[in-house]
Amino acid sequence: MKKQLLIALAAFVAVLGSLAFVQAQSNGGSADVQEQAGPPHVNPFEFPHEPHVAVNNMDCMYCHFSAERSKSAGHPSMASCMGCHAYVQGDAQAGDINQLREFWDAREPIAWERIYRVADHVYFPHMRHVAAGVECADCHGDVGYEINVVERVEQPLTMGWCLNCHIEQGASLDCTICHY
Amino acid sequence: MSDGMKRRDFLKVLGVSGAGAGLVGCSTDQVEKLMPYVVPPEDITPGVATWYSSVCGECSAGCGTWVKTREGRAIKVEGNPNHPVSGGALCARGHASLQGLYNPDRLRQPMRRNGDGFEAISWEEAESLLLDGVGNAGNRMALVTGKEGPTLTALLDGIVETAGGRRVEYEPLSEAPLREAARLAFGRDVIPTYRLEEADLIVSFGADFLETWLSPVEYGRSFTRAHSVDADDNKGRFVFLSPRLSLTGQNADEWVPLQPGSEAVVALAMANVLMRNGADAGPYADLLQAYTPDSAAQEAGIPADTIEELALAFGEADSLALGPGVAAQGANATAANLAVLVLNAVAGNVGSTLHVGVENRAAPAAPHRDLMDVVEAMGRGGLDAVIFYGTNPAYALPPGAGFADALGSVGFKVAVTQQMDETAALCDLVLPVRHSLEDWGDANPRPGLWSVRQPTMVPVPHFDSRPVGDVFLTLARGLGQDVDSGSFHEYLQARWEERHADLGSPGGSFEEFWREALRTGVITVDEGATSEPSLQAPDRALSFDRPSLEGEGMALVVYPSSRLADGRGANKPWLQELPDPVTKLAWHSWVEMHPDTVEEMGLRRGDMVRVRSPHGEVEVPVYPYPGVRTDTVAISMGAGHENYGRYADGKGVNPMALLPGTAEDVVGSLNHLAVRVQIEPTGQWRRLATIEGSSDQYDRPIAPAVQIDDLREGIQDAERYPLYELQGGGGFLPVPVPGGGAPEDYPLAGAQYGDYDPEENPRWAMAIDLDKCTGCSACVVACQSENNVASVGEDQLMMGRDLHWIRMDRYFEEVDATQPGPVDVRFLPMICQHCGNAPCEPVCPVYAAYHTPDGLNGQIYNRCVGTRYCANNCPYKIRVFNWHRFSDVPEPLNWQYNPDVTVRDEGVMEKCSFCVQRIRERQNRATVEGRILGADEVVPACQQSCPAEAIVFGNIRDPESRVAQVSQDQRTYRIYDILINTQPAVNYLRKVTFHPVTSIEV
Repeated sequence: MKKQLLIALAAFVAVLGSLAFVQAQSNGGSADVQEQAGPPHVNPFEFPHEPHVAVNNMDCMYCHFSAERSKSAGHPSMASCMGCHAYVQGDAQAGDINQLREFWDAREPIAWERIYRVADHVYFPHMRHVAAGVECADCHGDVGYEINVVERVEQPLTMGWCLNCHIEQGASLDCTICHY
Repeated sequence: MSDGMKRRDFLKVLGVSGAGAGLVGCSTDQVEKLMPYVVPPEDITPGVATWYSSVCGECSAGCGTWVKTREGRAIKVEGNPNHPVSGGALCARGHASLQGLYNPDRLRQPMRRNGDGFEAISWEEAESLLLDGVGNAGNRMALVTGKEGPTLTALLDGIVETAGGRRVEYEPLSEAPLREAARLAFGRDVIPTYRLEEADLIVSFGADFLETWLSPVEYGRSFTRAHSVDADDNKGRFVFLSPRLSLTGQNADEWVPLQPGSEAVVALAMANVLMRNGADAGPYADLLQAYTPDSAAQEAGIPADTIEELALAFGEADSLALGPGVAAQGANATAANLAVLVLNAVAGNVGSTLHVGVENRAAPAAPHRDLMDVVEAMGRGGLDAVIFYGTNPAYALPPGAGFADALGSVGFKVAVTQQMDETAALCDLVLPVRHSLEDWGDANPRPGLWSVRQPTMVPVPHFDSRPVGDVFLTLARGLGQDVDSGSFHEYLQARWEERHADLGSPGGSFEEFWREALRTGVITVDEGATSEPSLQAPDRALSFDRPSLEGEGMALVVYPSSRLADGRGANKPWLQELPDPVTKLAWHSWVEMHPDTVEEMGLRRGDMVRVRSPHGEVEVPVYPYPGVRTDTVAISMGAGHENYGRYADGKGVNPMALLPGTAEDVVGSLNHLAVRVQIEPTGQWRRLATIEGSSDQYDRPIAPAVQIDDLREGIQDAERYPLYELQGGGGFLPVPVPGGGAPEDYPLAGAQYGDYDPEENPRWAMAIDLDKCTGCSACVVACQSENNVASVGEDQLMMGRDLHWIRMDRYFEEVDATQPGPVDVRFLPMICQHCGNAPCEPVCPVYAAYHTPDGLNGQIYNRCVGTRYCANNCPYKIRVFNWHRFSDVPEPLNWQYNPDVTVRDEGVMEKCSFCVQRIRERQNRATVEGRILGADEVVPACQQSCPAEAIVFGNIRDPESRVAQVSQDQRTYRIYDILINTQPAVNYLRKVTFHPVTSIEV
């Protein structure tokens, strides 16, 4: 009797477990799986860094203005875009720029998809890294020349990845630098 | 299991399913959106706090504040260091104003009565109802408000002037008796200014000036400056005369437990002694003849010698007498205030420690009797419309006042309020208004000192609220008043433009002046100081005698709560959960009875008793408290709400149920001291919700003290490690073990101080002066606000699962309620000691507790697996475990969270971090600015909020830092260091007493 109960329990747990596993797979369970499946693409249009950075030599901090003085790099406002695009039509993606203007006229923000995100328990200070001379491209890839439309570059944003650089650079390895 | 499934297979299945579950648990692949601003607000940089100067709206003290906002949300309130009242500090109630702003029980839209309930309506409909209802009432209208800022008060007065009717300003904790007494004594309509810091002997007749009386933050600071021991080993003396020791009384050096209500005769007897010794009593000379120490001693139940000696000391020293407070307010309230002012005048304190020179322009707070006139008018059908704002008489008045019944006969009742309360629940129309952190306003806490309150954020979008000034402007306009301003903001600016012109345009143009006023938060104006007046003969007869109390049994003292005040803080979980500084109880009510009385009646701590007066009864648990007379019991105001929100309703009892609702003769303040009560056991018992393990140190060297004479001779303690040498190894040893770990290989190279160079790192440390700490517990709430510390609720607290990072320990060393004598209550803010040799660190199996190179005891939440070994091994019991998802608070209360600190989840151990986020923030800023971090630059939340200036934090490795210098004091000790070699980073400085204390080596 006892044995049967145990088997039944094991089977139940196993079914639960495999259900959970299937569920996890279909959701793209791990980061690797996610890379393959790709998140649903919902940006209204593709923002090209190349013409901004490579062609027009704009500094990263022209748009991501707070990276050198804040934990957060900042995300350009619609008004920043329109600062130029009220006049600059652009040739290659004129349709996209028209879309941008439509958003602006409606005073609606564009809901961009977020592709960089460190975990909630990590406090990553951008300004500290900018001050130490870390290039934006070291973490975000060369958005001007190699990656036109921003995508997550080949780095996992894991603690080991952070620490490798901290060890190379002789930066602090103390936990409470990032976790508090 | 042999035929079906093998044990190993069973485990395999479990393993796989565990992995599956793990994958679900870890997946963080939700697509998040980055929402850009359309037009970025000028003063917001993402990730960087923006601060606004403002004024605290929690009481009428008018503390100037700085409000920290992140991405447009207010997340912390701190004192404005430029403001003469707050001086940079704030009390627990001030910190908790955030929970008023984001309170989930705030009203979401205007409402109109519909049968027994309410229905939501639009603002347009609400305004037309308001204008119709009040317009029809004509002069049969009453406006009942709290004490408001000067400009809003002027607007309200304007409405009553135009439309007729009357306005009543009702504050349950009224200073009206004091104001009237000052007028009687000096002929000036003024609240006297008390300069505690200039006194060597402070005598309080029950005024709880560290808790609720007049301006607790300012007095907290100036009291500590007078009372704490200085560099020359001198210390001011503080004597407390009252039937019950309040928190203020617990800070006294001597306690005279006099009969309730006998404050006036004792003050007069002291003046009598001074007069007999040659002091000039002016027109009071004849009166004082009758009040000899002997007669007063009879009346007060204390020895005449005590009065005589205290009076002589009072005459000799730079002295100051304060009070009486609201708790002792009885039928002789004004007379008692007058007696204390006369005592000050006879001792020659007017012009030195007590100032009455400048008239106070603020409108006087009209007392209880004015409200009772309105109640009477309502009851006989004399009013057609009543508007309530900023006051809650249905809760604050004793039921015998008949408020609810009388209100029922008014045709149109309006509540202008932020949240539902007992009064609003009786009204026909409820209009939700802005919180003070979202609204414009101003304050004039004392002559010559003004502040403008600016909104610190856009209104919380969950609530369709309007600025209270706009509501009343609409009303004024609707009633035909000629108002030029479209909004209260414009109205306020216009009034200030006039005031600026009247003052002779200080600070240039009005625009410049206004900008500067908003930036600094302080406007000081020379209001023409006049000479200090001498005593005048009173223009009416007063009775100083001890009021007779109605009923049989023990005298009942009803005192304002230092947490909930008159009850307005009751729906804030931070304040409900804050252990009462006197009794260490939270969430519920209690009756304080002397331990001897409790024993005599055969009761125990926690026994439920029925407290019965001629007017009502309440059921409360007994708290045996040595700081109350044996013939007196005490109950706190502020609890027992019925309709005030989810955190307040049903918590505790409202002692107003016991009071008759009678008013004092002269100014008509409510008599809080009016009845005697019977205590009847119910046979029930309840577990008290408390953090108090014991109020006795059992001779352990936790909070030692030193007598001032011994201090002058010098304290000899055992040699200790100098703190700057201590870095701590902790459990984090990434050094390979040479030689296979033989005992002689230890300590490992580099492991003694961790694997870092101690010289390169700061050593963060703290010093807490226990001679300054008043136990007010502002730090507890400041810490909670800064560090996202959750509230756990009454049931969890009863299980000892509180999450506070600061435990304000309180030990009774010497408290005698039977005769005058020394009182010695020790306060000790107990926090993580950040031990150099921390017992918690080596027992953590996952290195979640470890030592940082800069001397912190780190706690890494994402490593923590919740074994709780560290808490078991902590000798200070400062580690707290998160048992449930306490951080899941209802919207929008979660908006208060500090985005720079992890919101801890279930199953994680947490504790004081020395505000590591503030350390990192300053370090980041210093690096970006290319400079060295200052030794005193980092200020943790507790130090920032401390009105007593008791806490100092910094890099103790730098000999110039304040913490290094304060720690040089010979009173310095580290708790248990000599016993268990924990090498704490928190240095405590012993309390200094006037009476002999047992000396314990620490």
